[in-house]
Amino acid sequence: MSALLEVAQLRTHFLTRAGVVKAVEGVSFTLERGEILGLVGESGSGKSVTGFSLIGLVDPPGRIVSGSIRFDGQELVGLAPDRMRALRGKRIAMVFQDPAATLNPVLTIGAQMALAVQAHGGGSERAARDLAARTLTRVGIPDAAARLDAYPHEFSGGMRQRVAIATALLHGPELIIADEPTTALDVSIQAQILAEMKQLAKQSGTALIWISHDLATVSSLADRVLVMYAGRIVESGPVASVLRAPLHPYTRGLLDSLPAMARPGEKLNQIPGSTPSLLSLPPGCPFAPRCPRATDICRSDPPVVTQPGRMALCHHPLEMAAA
Amino acid sequence: MSAILTAEHVTRRFSPRVTLGDRIAGLLGAKVDRRAVQAVTDVSLQVQQGETLGLVGESGCGKSTLGRMLAGILPPSEGAVRLSGASPMRGKHKTTTRIQTVFQDPNASLNPRIRIGDTIAEGPISHGLVTRANAPAMVAEWLSRVGLDPAFATRFPHQFSGGQRQRVAIARALAMQPEVLVCDEPVASLDVSIQAQILNLFLDLRQQLGLTCLFISHDLSVVRHVSDRVAVMYLGRIVEMGEAAKVYAAPRHPYTQGLLDSVPKLMLGGNEGLSFKPISGELPSPLSPPPGCAFNPRCPKATELCRRERPPLTAREDGTLVACHHA
Repeated sequence: MSALLEVAQLRTHFLTRAGVVKAVEGVSFTLERGEILGLVGESGSGKSVTGFSLIGLVDPPGRIVSGSIRFDGQELVGLAPDRMRALRGKRIAMVFQDPAATLNPVLTIGAQMALAVQAHGGGSERAARDLAARTLTRVGIPDAAARLDAYPHEFSGGMRQRVAIATALLHGPELIIADEPTTALDVSIQAQILAEMKQLAKQSGTALIWISHDLATVSSLADRVLVMYAGRIVESGPVASVLRAPLHPYTRGLLDSLPAMARPGEKLNQIPGSTPSLLSLPPGCPFAPRCPRATDICRSDPPVVTQPGRMALCHHPLEMAAA
Repeated sequence: MSAILTAEHVTRRFSPRVTLGDRIAGLLGAKVDRRAVQAVTDVSLQVQQGETLGLVGESGCGKSTLGRMLAGILPPSEGAVRLSGASPMRGKHKTTTRIQTVFQDPNASLNPRIRIGDTIAEGPISHGLVTRANAPAMVAEWLSRVGLDPAFATRFPHQFSGGQRQRVAIARALAMQPEVLVCDEPVASLDVSIQAQILNLFLDLRQQLGLTCLFISHDLSVVRHVSDRVAVMYLGRIVEMGEAAKVYAAPRHPYTQGLLDSVPKLMLGGNEGLSFKPISGELPSPLSPPPGCAFNPRCPKATELCRRERPPLTAREDGTLVACHHA
């Protein structure tokens, strides 16, 4: 069976007045059916723009300048807007970071979920509301039929995110792209949503791309992880092996930056400097100015992929541990 | 050790302002919600000279309100805050420079139209800590201490990254030569790699200057990393307070246990199970807190007693304070 999603050499650029912002620069990966893929990076790494590119939601001045996104064999780059719209929400769905911004404040939950059902030819209003109520129950909203007549402001933040997830699940999509869906939530609510998402994805066989800055969240959810830096995937592999023995110095640095990895009160092993401007990247490896292992070749030549499978975009990858 | 900063039974209420329109609507028979939110209820604590007290809790638990009262920028509705025995405020106004605050969002706390050198110098000049002539040298010294190029003094906040702006905010607070520093979510809006840099800076400066700190955060691992003692808040009250090592290793209150269990851990050996265990239910509204223990609707150990009577915060044999009938 072929992969559900095959992304090859994707480049998404923003043509701004200040210059060309290369937000995504040559991203390639595949996603199998039912797989949970973590997409990790700091702000400006291109992880969200990658997600938006997949679902055809990159607005001008941004555009996909080259590359290929094949979803179940169908090329999505350059697909006509109406054909993209037929896929979006039906076979590929997205959950955004801030449910307060994605739900329409002047429509009841039932009304907006019914719109989402009927957008893809889903029968009568009555049937649409029934489906909405059943889906809300699946994501853990108690007394769902009665809550259909409530407005978003009557829900808590966690409940709103559940509504957004239920809306994504309405048509039983094959792929859900979740962009930092628990970042705005409190710890105890985040844990509830994470546990439910993992269970829902595994139950329904939906593939999930989980975009997050939080390594710990990704480590307990994903099968594989992609680490992004300055628009590129710098490391990828099975989540446990990447986090246990990272090959790329950036991944190592991210892990060492976590207070949980150090003894309380001791200095953290920090990465010096800050992320480079995407307008003027250094000529060689974009991480070279902050990298403890950088040599002259790193400053002059862009690195190439060294080890497929466990991939790292680095001239001097760390040793693979004996584990 | 002696207590430098104390809170004695402090309570803070926020009442909705009743406008003329509300009054007319009320006369016409409309229901106007005039319930006050009690953000902090009857909190007593002491911060010892030289220690860092961490304050953790989820949104709406009152940690920032308590922090602002301790920092002398918000008067308590009841109770008293004392800095070395004296109130840091007179009426609505702060009357001391000995306590300073670093806020979460440096975009909001730095004036975008003022050069950062002037921002840092403004307080010390107007309080006579430095003369106008000596101010540039002082600014340069603080900029280099927080890891910025002294030449940046003439730049505006928008010319800096988020992490650099937070360094400016720290320099501004420390240039006032405070004895106590209140940090309200100082790293919450920063990326992981920048967060580590700011935490390292904080650890360094705290040691060099012998600062006493109140460190407020929702991030349990950050609070564990920087704190000597920790106080856990839920719905306006402290539910557990003690040495950080003890509270994290053996939490007693079911909320502290639940909170620690609900944080996803780094799973380095595969993730067949889950690395965390959610607390069931939602945070109750502070407008109508449940009777008895505020945590009882979500608590696995709750009994009739918990629904009826609020447990007092009492000391246990190792000195940890816990507010629970069953812990």
